[in-house]
Amino acid sequence: MSVTIEGERVDQLLRIIVAAATGDYELRVPLLEEDDDEFLEVELGVNYLLEELALGKAKSDSQRQQLEVRAEELAHQQSELVQALSTPVIAVWPGVLALPLVGRVDDERAATITAVLLERVAAERATHVILDLTGVGAIAGNTMPALLRMVRAIGLLGASCLLTGISAPVAQQIVALGAAEGGAPVRALAQLSDALALVLAQKGALGR
Amino acid sequence: MPFVFAEATTPQGKPLLRIHVRDEVTITDAEALGARIEDDGPNHRWRILSVVEKGTEYSPAARRYFPNLQPKYGAIAVAVTSPIVRAAINMMMRLTGQAPNLRLFSSEAEALAWLDQLEI
Repeated sequence: MSVTIEGERVDQLLRIIVAAATGDYELRVPLLEEDDDEFLEVELGVNYLLEELALGKAKSDSQRQQLEVRAEELAHQQSELVQALSTPVIAVWPGVLALPLVGRVDDERAATITAVLLERVAAERATHVILDLTGVGAIAGNTMPALLRMVRAIGLLGASCLLTGISAPVAQQIVALGAAEGGAPVRALAQLSDALALVLAQKGALGR
Repeated sequence: MPFVFAEATTPQGKPLLRIHVRDEVTITDAEALGARIEDDGPNHRWRILSVVEKGTEYSPAARRYFPNLQPKYGAIAVAVTSPIVRAAINMMMRLTGQAPNLRLFSSEAEALAWLDQLEI
């Protein structure tokens, strides 16, 4: 097959292909009825290809937008879940709340813990709060004072706060802040079960 | 309507579905044809004469749909005078692959003569 094509038609086709190669699928090869040759089918084929590419791009954009919306929803749900899991306040006995902390505690988390815990102490008229730090790997430098302020605030609400599961580094942080020497009413026990036994003994619950 | 259907007969009296085609053919139009030539459709395996006007265009969805129709018609003769429309139909025929029962003609008379001599 031999077809003679005007240079202008070839140039036009190439310009449109180059535009498509840079992501512009909106241009179309102008088709003329008088161009009744085999090359017309090539030009039309390029137009069809561009239409398919434009459709594919529109579909892809739409799917990307849907994924972005879904990702935002999941991030929001995850944030809510993490917040709920980061402050799992458990009523282990009437008037006795336990808060097992896991993971790193930073300022933001300490603020959340304080808000949630004080609300529960007031709502349930708790007499004792056991703050279990067994699962706490590290406490950010400026966060320990915030936790100790929380302990004092619990005291102001009429409840006693017991710390359990304190690791050696955390113990050093507390001592450095002077909290164990009267700065804040901190009572520490080795394990959560020790604290619970102590509280129940104080309440006379174990003798029943 | 881009498709206007009419049931007729060939010069030799064989059943014929005549389709006048113009404007932009959409997937809805293509599916309307599909419904006519489905297994339980009124024109299943009929001879079809499609007279396509200059300026007719086919939407991408319609172009993708047409190749599926091949086993459902007896034969299609397309009468087309526009080189651009002919190129469009040729493109769809390339999608279909082997389509011995589909042929393009430049006049309606030639198209009907071909349909009449076919054994279906």
